[in-house]
Amino acid sequence: MTTESLQSSPSRRRRRLQQKDWAPYVFLAPMLFFLVVFFVLPIGFALYLTFTRWNPLSTPKWVGLRNYTYLLTSDPTFYLTLKNTFVFAFGTVLIGIPIALVIAFVFTLSRGKAFWRSIYWLPMVTNVVAIAFIWQIILDGTYGLLNQLLAFFGITGPQWLSDPKSAMIAVILVAIWTGLGQNMLLFSAGLEGIDESYYEAARIDGANTARIFWNITLPLLRPTLLFVSITSFIAGMGSFTLILVLTEGGPIQSTNVTALYMYQMAFQDLRMGRASAMAFILFIIIFIITLIQLRIFRRGGVEAY
Amino acid sequence: MKLKNRSKAAIVLSILKYTVLGVGAIIMILPFFDMFIGALRTPAERLARPPIYWPKTPQWSNYQRVFTELPMLRWYLNSIVVTCAITFIQLLTSSMAGFALAKYDFKGKKLLFNSVLAAQMFPFFLFLIPLFFLMRFWPLAGGNNLFGLGGTGFLGTYTALIFPFMISWYGIFLMRQFMVSIPTELMEAARIDGASEFRIYTHIVLPLIKPALATLGIFIFIYHWNEFIWTMTITRTANDLQTLPVGIFLLRGAFQTAQTESLQQAALAVSVVPLIILFLALQRFYIRGLATSGIKG
Repeated sequence: MTTESLQSSPSRRRRRLQQKDWAPYVFLAPMLFFLVVFFVLPIGFALYLTFTRWNPLSTPKWVGLRNYTYLLTSDPTFYLTLKNTFVFAFGTVLIGIPIALVIAFVFTLSRGKAFWRSIYWLPMVTNVVAIAFIWQIILDGTYGLLNQLLAFFGITGPQWLSDPKSAMIAVILVAIWTGLGQNMLLFSAGLEGIDESYYEAARIDGANTARIFWNITLPLLRPTLLFVSITSFIAGMGSFTLILVLTEGGPIQSTNVTALYMYQMAFQDLRMGRASAMAFILFIIIFIITLIQLRIFRRGGVEAY
Repeated sequence: MKLKNRSKAAIVLSILKYTVLGVGAIIMILPFFDMFIGALRTPAERLARPPIYWPKTPQWSNYQRVFTELPMLRWYLNSIVVTCAITFIQLLTSSMAGFALAKYDFKGKKLLFNSVLAAQMFPFFLFLIPLFFLMRFWPLAGGNNLFGLGGTGFLGTYTALIFPFMISWYGIFLMRQFMVSIPTELMEAARIDGASEFRIYTHIVLPLIKPALATLGIFIFIYHWNEFIWTMTITRTANDLQTLPVGIFLLRGAFQTAQTESLQQAALAVSVVPLIILFLALQRFYIRGLATSGIKG
């Protein structure tokens, strides 16, 4: 980039003015290239694929809306995975958010924050394969640590991941464990933003900690609560790598979510058209939820989002 | 006032508080602990019934065997090459684009900034299939002709692992937010002194946002060190290119027997520990980034 010119001073001044005008486009060039080649083009190609039947060894064959009608009318597994997707996303939010909130509440009141934070964040810097394998071993029905601990208290634990009845619960619990640190941090940032004077006023009125939490902290934390709940719900709808490593969607599809089913259909069954259609249906569902979220945010007082 | 508050209730509350935090912390640490202990067992202890938890003589050699019997060093090398390349490229592209969006007025600025925001709403699973074939059919790469046919494209090269991650929409957004607050007078003064726009970027803007670059850099590094699904899709059959998470994942068939589970746990430990150390060392940058990026949205 030869930007320093060797011209005489009057023309140099003019040149500088010009440079200021085109410089932003130069700075944006990599982004513009990426936007076209790695964003618009792939989405366009994927959309095209949804109308074709394509096994990558041949050329795509146009089939119109058949992929969509097949998925929506004659694939019970698709609906099963959709149900699992919602169960997974709802489960992680409904169980995970209250836990994160309570931990964040006591965390903000405690000493040694750096110490506690480091501990709660360990899963956030651990790769998903390690998390899944570590838990696979812990959740093993016979040799796993969890059932050994339960046996110590005289309880016979289930065959967590290999029993279709308990597998989804186990997967949700592992997902909550993984995301706890992040949610806790967001909540504690929100909690620290609450003005101290509210608490003082409540204490002068003689309120105890439980009452303060229920009547002051929770209402004032509503924007953060909404933000964290809905963003983690949306993230949960599209996440599948943890499940891929943990159970591969089994046993008997009991933990298979739509994004994972899409991945298997694309890279194991090599049905690129049908898999793309599934990706788009899931995306549209997530998109609609996102739009609803934006409305709730505006009403719930989350500004500038 | 303070002394009065130190009543019995306050003490009970304080105990309760640390009990909740402590129990939670144990649940967070226990799985890692289980991994380290498990890595030290012998196959016989693995299979014993009732199960033996504490290894009688810790098999430290399991950690050695991970390096001699598995291509662990190769995985490390691949992880380092790919992660460092992506981190460097993303820091460059994010700061450049963020700078343009924060500090210049030009046609289409609003539209571009809005597309940066909108692009973040597209989940990655939507791109898996098309990006795979974009890499496969990239023209004139890996024996492909002008129409992307005839060869293997970027599959089987580092490029396929790095190219699709050249840009981070989130990174651009974060950089833009940090740069908006840089005083425009600084840039004007430099312009009067005859500095080029590129020089303003390298000599004024970049030094000023060093802390933000550090934060974003750690984000990117941790995210891509742990990135799994794309790398797995691309390198499932390309052994030379597998990174740590992928390599360890593909062990599962061969390694998930009671005989070798300890080795698997040792391999996991070896893959997890460096990042934990890095994270603990650089924690303050990480926290600041999360705190500023999470809520402000």
